[in-house]
Amino acid sequence: MLRLTGSLSLVFLTLLSSTHAHHSYSFENTAIVRQVELAGSLVQVVTTYAVKALEKDAKAYTIALSSNDKEKTSWLEAKVKGQQQALLVRDHGTEPTNGYHLIDVELPKPLGLNETLNIVLETIQTHAAKPWPASASQNDEQSLLFKTDLFVISPYQTLVQRSKMRSPTPRIVDFMEPKDLEAFTLDTPATKSSATITYGPFNNIPPSADENFLSKTQQPISVQYMYDHPVLEVSSLKRAAEISHWGSNLNIQDEIRLRNGGPELKGHFSRLDHQAQAFYKRPSPHVLPGLSLHLPAGIRNTYFYDIIGNVSTSHLRVAPAPPRSLRSRTPQYSVLDLRPRYPLLGGWNYTFTLGWDSDLSDSAVYDSKSGKYIVKVPVMTLIPGAVVNQAEVTIILPEGATDVDFSLPWPAVSTSSSTVTTYLDTTGRPALTFVYERLTTRHDGDIYVSYKVPLSAHLKKPTAVATAFMGLFVLTLIGRRINLSLHPSKTA
Amino acid sequence: MSMAYPLPSGLSPATVTNTASLIRIVTLALISGAAIASRLFAVINFESIIHEFDPWFNFRATKVLASQGFYEFWNWFDPTAWYPLGRVVGGTIYPGLMATSGVIYNILHALNLPVDIRNICVLLAPGFSALTAWATYMFTKELKDESAGLLAAAFIGIAPGYISRSVAGSYDNEAIAIFLLMFTFYCWIKALKQGSAFFGMLAGVFYFYMVAAWGGYAFITNMIPLHALILILMGRFTSRLYVGYSSWYAIGTLASMQVPFVGFQPVKTSEHMAALGVFGLLQIIAFSQLVRSHLSSKQFQNLLFVAVIGTGILGSLAIVGLTYKGWIAPWTGRFYSLWDTGYAKKYIPIIASVSEHQPTAWPSFFMDLQLLMFLFPAGVFLCFKQLRDEHVFVIIYAVVGSYFAGVMVRLMLTLTPVVCVSAAVALSTLLDTYIDPVEPLVPEEAAPSASGDDSTTTSASGSKKAKKPVFGLSESTTTQSTPKLRTRPGIFGLDARLVVIFNAFGMLSFFVFHCTWVTSNAYSSPSVVLASANPDGSQHIIDDFREAYYWLRQNTPETSVVMSWWDYGYQIAGMADRPTLVDNNTWNNTHIATVGKAMSSTEEVAYPILRKHDVDYVLVIFGGLIGYSGDDINKFLWMVRIAQGVWPDEIQEPNYFTPHGEYRVDDQASTTMKNSLMYKMSYYRFAELFGGGQAMDRVRNQVMPKHGPTLDYLDEAFTSENWIVRIFQVKKEDLLGRDLKSANAFSQGKKRKRSKPTVRRRAIV
Repeated sequence: MLRLTGSLSLVFLTLLSSTHAHHSYSFENTAIVRQVELAGSLVQVVTTYAVKALEKDAKAYTIALSSNDKEKTSWLEAKVKGQQQALLVRDHGTEPTNGYHLIDVELPKPLGLNETLNIVLETIQTHAAKPWPASASQNDEQSLLFKTDLFVISPYQTLVQRSKMRSPTPRIVDFMEPKDLEAFTLDTPATKSSATITYGPFNNIPPSADENFLSKTQQPISVQYMYDHPVLEVSSLKRAAEISHWGSNLNIQDEIRLRNGGPELKGHFSRLDHQAQAFYKRPSPHVLPGLSLHLPAGIRNTYFYDIIGNVSTSHLRVAPAPPRSLRSRTPQYSVLDLRPRYPLLGGWNYTFTLGWDSDLSDSAVYDSKSGKYIVKVPVMTLIPGAVVNQAEVTIILPEGATDVDFSLPWPAVSTSSSTVTTYLDTTGRPALTFVYERLTTRHDGDIYVSYKVPLSAHLKKPTAVATAFMGLFVLTLIGRRINLSLHPSKTA
Repeated sequence: MSMAYPLPSGLSPATVTNTASLIRIVTLALISGAAIASRLFAVINFESIIHEFDPWFNFRATKVLASQGFYEFWNWFDPTAWYPLGRVVGGTIYPGLMATSGVIYNILHALNLPVDIRNICVLLAPGFSALTAWATYMFTKELKDESAGLLAAAFIGIAPGYISRSVAGSYDNEAIAIFLLMFTFYCWIKALKQGSAFFGMLAGVFYFYMVAAWGGYAFITNMIPLHALILILMGRFTSRLYVGYSSWYAIGTLASMQVPFVGFQPVKTSEHMAALGVFGLLQIIAFSQLVRSHLSSKQFQNLLFVAVIGTGILGSLAIVGLTYKGWIAPWTGRFYSLWDTGYAKKYIPIIASVSEHQPTAWPSFFMDLQLLMFLFPAGVFLCFKQLRDEHVFVIIYAVVGSYFAGVMVRLMLTLTPVVCVSAAVALSTLLDTYIDPVEPLVPEEAAPSASGDDSTTTSASGSKKAKKPVFGLSESTTTQSTPKLRTRPGIFGLDARLVVIFNAFGMLSFFVFHCTWVTSNAYSSPSVVLASANPDGSQHIIDDFREAYYWLRQNTPETSVVMSWWDYGYQIAGMADRPTLVDNNTWNNTHIATVGKAMSSTEEVAYPILRKHDVDYVLVIFGGLIGYSGDDINKFLWMVRIAQGVWPDEIQEPNYFTPHGEYRVDDQASTTMKNSLMYKMSYYRFAELFGGGQAMDRVRNQVMPKHGPTLDYLDEAFTSENWIVRIFQVKKEDLLGRDLKSANAFSQGKKRKRSKPTVRRRAIV
C-alpha cells in the first residue's frame, strides 16, 4: 500500500483545520500599508504591518482577513521585512459567521515589550478583478473593476493605515470615494496620482476584526481601470506525468481548458476588423492571439493538439538541457509559441493538449543509500498571468513500484491513488493524483515522489511479452502438425 | 538440351522448394511493407488525420462503437443529423468497416495496448492494402503460378488506382472492401476448381463480410452468377460448379440478409435477381443431369434441354412479372446511371453533382494504372489462350470492370484488381519466356537463316562475357532436332533475353516512380487541411476548416443547428459536433433541395425557411480570397439545379446567368444571383478587405464591385483566417414584430437622428 502521508518539508503551510489551541498575544499596529497591484486574473496584495508588542514574549502575530478577501486569496506568504525566509502561518479555521478570518503568523523570535517588527504579508487574489462593463465589442477597450474593503482589518488597534491601488496603466476610469470618514481623517480620503490611487492615511482605527466594526464602519471601495492584456483563465488543467525507466523517459501531458476571462464579446467576431487591427498594429486588448510558454529545457517530441487533430500554428524553440552543475545558475527554457486555432475573444474557450518527453535523468535521481528513485514533477507549466481554477496532477509510476512516498510543495485539496494500465502492462502502474484549486503564477513548485522498483518489476514486461510470443509460436507449432483433412491422401 | 546460361546443379529438390518458399514469404512481406509505406505520405506530410468527407462519418460512428459497444451502435439513432428528422444510423449503414476497427480496437485494448481509435481508423486502409496484396497473390496463383502472383501482389500494392481510395486517413468502406472482393473471388475460384463446399462456404462468409462493408457488394452478387451462367452456356456445367455456387449462394445470401441495411433486398430487388435466377437454373440443370444419367434416349435429352430453356424463360418472365407487380423493386436510379451516363444529370442531380460519379477521363486511366493499362489486354489475351474456368472469370471481370470504370470515376477502383492480375499474368509470361534458360532446338533446314542473325549478335555480346556458354549455330547443328521439338517456341541467346528483361525492368522501375509520384502528389491530401508553400519553400498549412469547426464546437451552444451545403455535413458533425440539416448521406432529396432553395433565394424568402428549421448558424465555404476553387460559389449551380428539381416555379437556373449566358459574380452578375443568400454570404464585406483597392475574386478572376452585399437577416459570426469558412448567425425575429429588413433600416436611420439632438444640446451649453 502507498503511504499517503506527505512529509511536508516546506516552510509555510495553511492547514484548513488546525488542532492547535491558539493563544492571542497583545499587539499594536503602528502602521499598516496595503499596496494592491491591479492586474487581470491575479491581483497581488502586499500588506506591511508595523507592529509593536504590548506584552512580553509575544510569539505569534494574528492577521485578519475579511471573508471576502479570504475567499479570493489563493496564495499567502508572510515574511519579516527585508528577510527571505517565510514565516510559519497557522490558520484558525473557517469562521464564516463572523465575516472575518484569523491567521497566526509565528514570529522568528519572541518579541519583548514595546519591541517592534515589520511583517510583510503578500497575497495573491484570484478572480478579484471583474470585467466592467461585462461585455465589450471587438473594437472596444477592456476595463476591469476591482472591489475591496476600505480598511485593512486587524484584531489590534491601528495608529495609521493607508491603501494604495496601483493600476498597470495610468488610465483609471473611475474610483469610489469613501464617505463618512471624519473619525479617521480630515483630508480627502482618496487621491489619485497618475496610475496610483491612495486611500488614507486613516488614523486611530480600533480593533477592526469584529462584527460591529465590519457592519458599521467598514465600507467597500472599487477601482475601474483599463487593462491592456487579455484576462486569462485556465478552467481546468489535467497533468499526467508518466515515468518510464525502460525508456528513461518522463512524459508530461497537460490537458488545458483555456478561457478568455475578459469582457464577453458583444455582437460578433469580425475577421475583417481583426485583420485590420493586426495590419495597423493596434490589437484589441482583450483578444488573445497566442501565448508564449516556457517549457523545460532539453525536451523532445513536443506535441500540441486538440480534439480534432494537430494544431499546425505553433512553433517550438528547444533549448538543450544544461549540465546538472549549471542548472541552478542558468535556468534555461524551451519556448513554445502557442497559437490557438482561432483568436480567443472575451468569453471564448479553447481546449487543447500539450505534451512532451524529457530525459528521466533530468528530473530523477537514484538514491543508492535507500535504494529509492526520487523524481521531481512540476505542478504546472506557468501560463503568464493566468489563474488555474482546477488542477489535477497525476503521476504514473513505473509498473511494480513500491514504498511510494511523496512530498508536496503545498497541501492538495485531495490526494488519491489508483492503478493505471497502459502499454503491455500486466499488473498496472501505481498512480498518484493530486487535486489543486486556484493555482497562481506563484504556485510553481515541484512534487517529489520517491519509490523503489525491484529488478523483478523491471523484468516483468519483457517476460510477459516473451511468454506471449512463445505461446503463439508453440500454438503454431502444434497447429502445423495437426492434419484435419478428411482425405489425407487426396490433399496432395 | 542447351542452356542460355548455366543453372546451379546439385541442389536437392527440397532445398529448392524451401528456398523458393522462403523467398516468396520474404517478397510478400516486402510487398506488404511497400504497400503500407506508400500510403503513409499523408501522415508524414500532414498528420494522422481522417480525410475528406465520408470518412468523418465513419470515424464518428466508430467512436460510438468503440465507446458504447456494439449493441448501442446497432440501435444508434442520431438526432443531430438531418435535423429535425434524425437518422437511424444502425439501420442505414454498412457496419463492416466500423465493426472491423472496433474489433481491432478491443483486441489491442485487451492486450493493454492503448492505441487511440483515431490511429486505428487512419491506419486501417494501409493495413488492409497489405492483406489485399496477399489476396491478389492467392488469386493470381490460381490463375497462373506463384511468380505471377507475386507480380500481381506488387502491382496492386502500389497501383495508384487502388491507393487513391486507401491512403492512410481515407477511412472509407473501400478501404477494406477491395481485400474482401479479391478474397471472395479467390474463394470462389478455389471452390469452383475443387468443387469444395468448404471454399464455397468461405466465399459465402467473405461475401457476407463484403455485404456488411460496402454497397459495391452488388458487383460480386452479379459477377459470380454471370460467371456461372457463362460457364453453363459454354457447356461447362460440372458438379464442382454446382457445389461451389450453391454453397456460396445459400450461405452468402442468408448471411447477407442479417445486415439491417440490406434486409430482404436479396430476394426483393432486381440487382440481386441474377444470383437467384442462376441458382434456380443450376438446380434445374443438376436435376436434368441426374435424370440424364438414368436415361439414354437422345430425344429425351433434347426434350429436357428444351424444358430447361423453357423453365429459364418462364423464371425470367416470372421475375419480370413480379417486378411489374411491384413485388420486386425495380432497379434504383444509381443503377440506371451505370447504363446511361446522362440519366443522373437528367433525373437525379444529387448523384450527378458528386465529382466521383462523373465519367472517367482518359488521362486518369494512365494516371491510375500507367504501364498496367498496356499489359492488361495482353493478359486478357493470354487468358483466352488457356481458358480454364478461372480464366473465363478474369475475362468477364475484365470486360465488366472496364465498362464500369469508364462510366464512373470511382469504379476505377473495381477495375484495378483485374488489371493488376492480368498485367501480372502478361508480364510473368514474358519474364518466364525470357528468363527460361532453355534454348529452342533449331531444325536443320531452318539453321542457315537463323544463324545469320544469331552469329552476329552473339559474337558482339559473346566477346564481352567470357563465361557465356557457346551456343548457336555450332551447337544446333550437332544436335539432331526432332519434328516435335521444332514446334516449341523459344528465345535464342542471352543478349536477346537481356534486352527484353532490361526493358521490362526499366518499365517496372518507371512504374514504381510513377506510382510514388502520383500517390504523393495527387492522392495524399487530406482535403481538410490544405498545404501551400511559404516564400522560403517551407510548407505552410492552411487550416481554416478545422479552425472554424473547432470554434463552433467550443463557443456555440451544443444544440445550435448549423446549415451548410451537404458536402460539409459529415465534417461539421465530426469536428464541430453540432446538428446539421443535411449531410453526405444524401437520402432525402427534398431536404437537400430545401437547403438549396434557402441558399439560392433572397434573404426574405430564405429567412422563414431558416427559422422553420431552427437554423442558428449558416456555414459557407468561400475560396475567393486565397483561390480555393472547391468553394460554394462554384458548387452553387448544383444547389440551384437540385432546388429547381423540387420547386421549378420558384428557382430557375437561367436566372443565375448573365443575359449572355455567363456565370459571373462581378457587377455584371444577374440580379437573382446578387440577391441570393449564398452570394451575399460569400461576398459580405469582402470588398472592404481590400481597403478601397480593387477587390479580386481569385477563383473566378473577376473584379468585385466596390460596394458589396448587405445582410439584414443574418449576422456574420465567424470568418476563418483565410476567409475559407464563413459562419453567419441567423437573427431572431424582431421583438417589435417588424420584419428584420425594416428594423435594420430603422436602427441605422435612428443612429443618424440621435446624433442631431446631442449636437444641439452641446451647442446650448
